[in-house]
Amino acid sequence: MKDQISALIDGEMPIESADHLFIALKAKNEISESWAAYHLIGDVMRGNAVFKPGFNERFMQKLELEPSVLSPRNFVSPRKSLAKTSSAWSIAASVAAVMFVGWVVLQQQVHNHVDAAPAQIAQNQITPNVASEYVLAHQSMAPSSTAYYIQPASYSESGN
Amino acid sequence: MKRFLLGCLMAAQYFAVTYSVYSFAGSDNTISANPILSNSNSTPNPWLILQKASQAARELSYEGIFMYQSGSSGRSVQITHMNYGQGEYARIVVLDGTPREVLSQGKDVVIFSPRNEKVVIEKRRGQNLFPALLPSNMDLIKASYNIKLGAIERVGGRDGQVVNLEPRDQYRYGCKLWADREYGLLIKVQTINEQHEPIEQIAFNQLTLLNSQNMDWFQPNIDHDKKYVMEDNQDKNVAPEDNTWSVSKLPDGYRKIDQVTRMVPGKPYPVTQLIFSDGLASVSLFIEPLVKGVEPKIGHTVMGATNFYANTNNGHQIVVVGEVPEATVTQIASAVTFKK
Repeated sequence: MKDQISALIDGEMPIESADHLFIALKAKNEISESWAAYHLIGDVMRGNAVFKPGFNERFMQKLELEPSVLSPRNFVSPRKSLAKTSSAWSIAASVAAVMFVGWVVLQQQVHNHVDAAPAQIAQNQITPNVASEYVLAHQSMAPSSTAYYIQPASYSESGN
Repeated sequence: MKRFLLGCLMAAQYFAVTYSVYSFAGSDNTISANPILSNSNSTPNPWLILQKASQAARELSYEGIFMYQSGSSGRSVQITHMNYGQGEYARIVVLDGTPREVLSQGKDVVIFSPRNEKVVIEKRRGQNLFPALLPSNMDLIKASYNIKLGAIERVGGRDGQVVNLEPRDQYRYGCKLWADREYGLLIKVQTINEQHEPIEQIAFNQLTLLNSQNMDWFQPNIDHDKKYVMEDNQDKNVAPEDNTWSVSKLPDGYRKIDQVTRMVPGKPYPVTQLIFSDGLASVSLFIEPLVKGVEPKIGHTVMGATNFYANTNNGHQIVVVGEVPEATVTQIASAVTFKK
């Protein structure tokens, strides 16, 4: 299933024959997470600007500027939409999936903020753990490095 | 028994033949890409060997596995690098421990690092990484190191020409480099301390040139069970620069090459990082205001070739980190002066 999702995103699978994937996307959380992950990876690899830093801030700003539409629209029931042509159905699913990606990214960024605050080690002993933050920051900015992609062992073991 | 021996001999011969054919094809490639190598009769200029190593690491297409060792930690790393005139593509996979993965295209670098149940995607600018460790311009290195041609030593099944970079003062470590005699690539690098002992090493266990232009390898290995998230990039919160301090006297040969100010998770004030380099070794200086309730860090520690020094000065935490001797980190820390 995930291979098919990947193939669909890469354009290796005709969209017409992907109805079952869209249904799965809607039904299964795991599958829609893969969908979001593959899109994110693809965007990063292609250098798309969609998820550049500050995405959630910019998104919320744009959302603030949007006029609020108070009149509710007629909700189309899933049964009806299934009866429509498959291409319209897939477009709707894609839109839903894109919104889902945005939501997932937002959610995860919120989680990140929570996770990212490390427990302060209040001591003036220089433990490898305290040092490793600085070592990482150093290695990621140094012009030449033998060690950069090989993080200090203490860092990976701290599991942060 | 005789039959067995004959079999062994045949097999050995078979390997010898295929190997020579292969290495012939390999050398053909190398010579066309790097004409400097062809006159190997006269004593080679060691700077030219390094120049060629820098070039070969970027221009050749190769794959291999190298081992990085520093202090008590070591990791095997798989590298695939391709350049068929349309720019550089590389994939680096850490084989031991956390399966970190790096894909780069030209100067764009994307890193996939698993952390617990997530995989964090980071975007970085390119760096000089092994085997492309040397900068294309050697002038800064020439000013701070003496060079000496060494013997020929075998590394990972390849013949390597040893070149020694000896520091001109106590502010940097020495460096011993092995350049593949055929391909020109660096196949091994050691950082040498004041006592002439190796303190950090990176070396190929196996290395082959690529003959195919197939790009199927250029994709990350996706873990279906993990969430992929972009790195929390804090650069957006760059605060106005704190101009109350300056760095007065750097150790000889070091230059400031970059400066960034950013917010760091868990810290209320921005941290400023300055990066200094002598062309080979680099040092980072971090300055941040001290926070009430957080004990300042003071002291010195060594992790492999990395020296770490922390101090406080005028209400600021100062931290200096680099793959340099202790004298360099302490001197840079004390070079920070505050305007009164």
